[in-house]
Amino acid sequence: MYKYVLRRVLLAVPVLVLSSLIVFGLMRVMPGDALTALMAESGNVGEKELQKLRKDLGLDLPYYKQYLVWVWQMVSFNPGDSIFTNEPIPVALRKAIPVTLELATLAMILGLVIAIPIGVLSATHQDRLSDYVGRVVAVSGLSMPEFWLGTLVITFAAIWFHWMPPIGYVSFWESPWKNLQQFLVPAAILGFRLSAATMRMTRSTVLEVLREDYVRTAWAKGLAGKIVVYKHALKNALIPVVTIVGGQLGVLLAGTVVVETIFALPGMGRLTVEAILYRDYPVVQTNVMLVAGTLVTLNLLVDMTYAWLDPRIRYQ
Amino acid sequence: MAARVTRREFLERTTVGGLAAAALVAGSRPRRASAAASPYPDWIPASTKPPKRGGTLTRASAWDPPVIDPRLTQSVGTFQFVGLTSNRLVRYGFSDEVSGVADLSLKGDLAESWTASPDHRVWTFKLRQGTKWHNLPPVNGREFVAEDVKYCFEQYAKEGVQSFTFQEIEATETPDKYTVRVHLKTPNVFFPQNLAEPVAVMFPREVLEQDGDLKKRLIGTGPYMLKEHTRKVRVVLQRNPDYYDKGRPYFDEYVILSTPDAATRQAAFRTGQANFLHLTTPSEVDAVRKTNPDTVVQSFHNTLAPFGVAMAQDRPPFNDVRVRRALAMAIDRQKMVDTVLEGHGIIGWGVPYIYYQDAQPTGKDFGPWWQYKPAEAKKLLTEAGHGKGFETTLFYYEYYPAMTSEVQLVQQDLKKNLNIDVKITKLDYTTYYGRYVDNKWDGLSWGFQSGHAIGVDERTYQYMHSKSTKNFFRVNDPVIDELTTKLRRTPDRAEQRAITKKIVDREFDQVLRLWMPYDNGFLLFQPTMRNAAAPALRRTDGYGSPMLARAWFDK
Repeated sequence: MYKYVLRRVLLAVPVLVLSSLIVFGLMRVMPGDALTALMAESGNVGEKELQKLRKDLGLDLPYYKQYLVWVWQMVSFNPGDSIFTNEPIPVALRKAIPVTLELATLAMILGLVIAIPIGVLSATHQDRLSDYVGRVVAVSGLSMPEFWLGTLVITFAAIWFHWMPPIGYVSFWESPWKNLQQFLVPAAILGFRLSAATMRMTRSTVLEVLREDYVRTAWAKGLAGKIVVYKHALKNALIPVVTIVGGQLGVLLAGTVVVETIFALPGMGRLTVEAILYRDYPVVQTNVMLVAGTLVTLNLLVDMTYAWLDPRIRYQ
Repeated sequence: MAARVTRREFLERTTVGGLAAAALVAGSRPRRASAAASPYPDWIPASTKPPKRGGTLTRASAWDPPVIDPRLTQSVGTFQFVGLTSNRLVRYGFSDEVSGVADLSLKGDLAESWTASPDHRVWTFKLRQGTKWHNLPPVNGREFVAEDVKYCFEQYAKEGVQSFTFQEIEATETPDKYTVRVHLKTPNVFFPQNLAEPVAVMFPREVLEQDGDLKKRLIGTGPYMLKEHTRKVRVVLQRNPDYYDKGRPYFDEYVILSTPDAATRQAAFRTGQANFLHLTTPSEVDAVRKTNPDTVVQSFHNTLAPFGVAMAQDRPPFNDVRVRRALAMAIDRQKMVDTVLEGHGIIGWGVPYIYYQDAQPTGKDFGPWWQYKPAEAKKLLTEAGHGKGFETTLFYYEYYPAMTSEVQLVQQDLKKNLNIDVKITKLDYTTYYGRYVDNKWDGLSWGFQSGHAIGVDERTYQYMHSKSTKNFFRVNDPVIDELTTKLRRTPDRAEQRAITKKIVDREFDQVLRLWMPYDNGFLLFQPTMRNAAAPALRRTDGYGSPMLARAWFDK
C-alpha cells in the first residue's frame, strides 16, 4: 500500500510539471497582458511609459526566465504578488479557498444526501412511480446547467417570495445564520447537478447487486429488506459510485465558478476568472496549480477508498 | 405495494406537467415594450422637504475595481466611490443645485473661485479655507492647502493614465497657502472643465510617499471615508464628520456590494437589498415595476454614444471618403434602435449635443450621408471602384449583450446593401483593448470613447485632434485640427457652440467616425430615496457618484 501511494505521488510530479507548462504557455499565448488590462479605459498612456511599467512588473523578461522565476516561487511556497492589486497571492487564496471549500463541501453533502437514497429507492422500486420520479429528477439535474438554474432560482425567489440569499459574503464564524443563508441555495443548485449522475449510477449498480447470488441468499435467509439493501447490497454497489463522485469533483469545481458569480461569493472561481481576464499571470498560474494538485490528491484518495469499501482489492 | 406506471402513462403525465410549466413561465415573461417614447420622466427635481440624516445606502454593483489608485486607473469601478471619498478643485452641480438635466454650470469644490488670464494660459484658483483631509493616519485631518494641489498635478503629469491632461501644465505656483496659479503650455478655456472631470481628484502626498502608490489606502477630503474595501465582496464608505460642507452628507454609510450577475442585481433591488439600480431596456423596467410598483424611475437620456464603427481610414479602402459615406448610408441605425434597444436609445453621435444645440438631434440633422439609402450607397461605392464589394474584418468586445446584435445587424446590412463581407471576431476585453489602442489594425473595429470624461474639450480636441494620443478613430483632418484647437481658445459661450457645431458638421460630412446606436437606460430608485437623479452627463451609480453627497432617505 505504501509503495503504491509513493508511486502515485511520484507520478503526480510529471503531471504537475506538464500542467505548469500548459497554464504558463496558454497565458502567454493569449493576446494582451496585465498592463493592457490595467490601462484599459484610459487610452492615453505613452509607449515609453508602458515599457517602463512593463519592466517594473517583470513582463519584459524572456518567457523561459519568467517560467523559471515562477517555478522557483512555487517550490519555495512563495507564489508572489498579484500584478494587478499587489496583494500577496497567499493572502488572496486564504480569503477565497474557505469560500469555495464551504460551497463545494455543502454541495457534495447535499448532492449525496439527494442522490443515494433516491438512487436506492429507484432501484428497489424499479418501474414504479417513485422510480420514474427519481429518474426524471436525475435527468433534470443533468440537463439544467447551473447558470440557468441559479438565475431562475434567484429571479423567481425575488418575484414570488420577495427574498433572495443576502449578498455581501459573511464568514461562518462571523454570522453562522447569515452565512448559511448565503450558501445553502447555491450549494443546493450545485448539489442537485452533482446528484444527477450519482443518482443514476447508484440506481444501476444497486439493481445489479440486488441480482447477485449472495443477495438472493440473504433474502432466502429471511433477512429484513432494509438489512439486505443497506447492509449487504449498498456497500458493494458504492464502488462505482465513489468513482463517479471522484470524477465529478472537477465538474464541481468548474460549477463553483458560475455559481459564485451568480450568488456573489468571493471564492476561487471568481478569483481565477477575474485573473484570467486581467492577465494576472501569477494568480492564474498559482490557482491552476492548486486545483491540479487538489485533483491529483483527491483521485489518489478515491483510489484508496476502494480498498476500504472492498477488502478484496489489494494495491501492489 | 406502489401502483405500477407504464411508460406510456408516465410520458402522458409528464407532457401535461411540462406544458403547464411552460405556460407558467411564458405567462411571467415580461412583454416586449413598444418603440414608443418612455413613459418615465428624464429628470426628477430635488425634494422641497428638509433632508433627513441617517440610514445606510446600499447598491449592488457590477463593478469591482482591482485598483483604487486614481493615477493608475480611470475605471468606473474605482470612481463609483472615489468620487465620494475625494474632491476635485471644481465640480458640476448636484441634483439639488442644477436647473435641469442639461445644466452644466461649474461649482467650486475645493476651490472657491477661479479666474483666467486674458489669454487663458494662466489660471488662478482660490482654495476653500479650513478644508481637512480625512482624520486618518498619516494625514490625521490636517488642512488641505495649495501645496497639495501642486503636488497632485505634478504626480498626475509624471505618470499614469491622466498624464496627457496634466502634461498640459507648464508650471504650478503657490503664492500663498490658499492660492494655486497654473501656467499652461497653450491656452485652454476648458481647463476648469477638465479639472471638474470625476477622475481629477486630490490625494495626500504623505500616502504616496509612504506607500509608493495609492493602491492600499484611499484618503481624501470627501464626504465619505473608506471604511472597508474587500474585493469581490463590498466597499463600505462611512460618513466623514469633518466634511467641509457642514451637515452633509446625509447617509451614515454607503455600501456597494460586488454583484457581477445582472439577474442578481435586479433581484437585490426587488428584495430591497439595493436602493437603486440601472437597467437598459423598457421591458426590464416594466418587469421590475410589476413586483415593485412604487419604484421611482428616471429615464436617462444620453447626450452622446460612446461606441461606433472605427474605420482604418489611414489606408485603403477607408481612406476614400466615398467608401466611408457609402457605409454610413448602408446601415439602418433607426432599425437597431427600434429592435435591439426597444426604441429607448439614441441613433448615435460622438460630441454631446448639449454643447452645440438645445434639442436632441434626429437622424436628419446629420446630413445626407447619414440617411439610410442603400441604393445611393451602392452607387457611391461603385464610383469609388468597389462596385462588387470587398472583404473586411471587424473585431469587438461585447460591452453589453445587445452589442452583439448591433454588430450582426451591421454585418447583415453591409452584405445586403453593398456586398461587403465582414468577418467578425469577438474578443475578450484585454485582447480587444490592446488591439484597438495599438492603432495597427486593419479594416473595422467597434470603437469606443472612454466614459469617464465628457467635457467638450475631451470629446473634441482630445478625441479628434490628429496629434492626440486618444485619437483611436484615427481622425486625421486638418479642418478638425484647426477647429478643435480654435475651440480651446474661444471663451465666448455662443462662439463655442458655433465652433462645436462646425466640428460636428465636418465630422458627419467626412464620416470620420461611424457612430452606432446606444441605449439610454433607466435609473430605478426605491420610493424613499431623494435627490439622486442623474444630470445629463453622468449617472449617479458611476462617474456621477459625487451627486450622492446630497441624496437622503425620506423615511
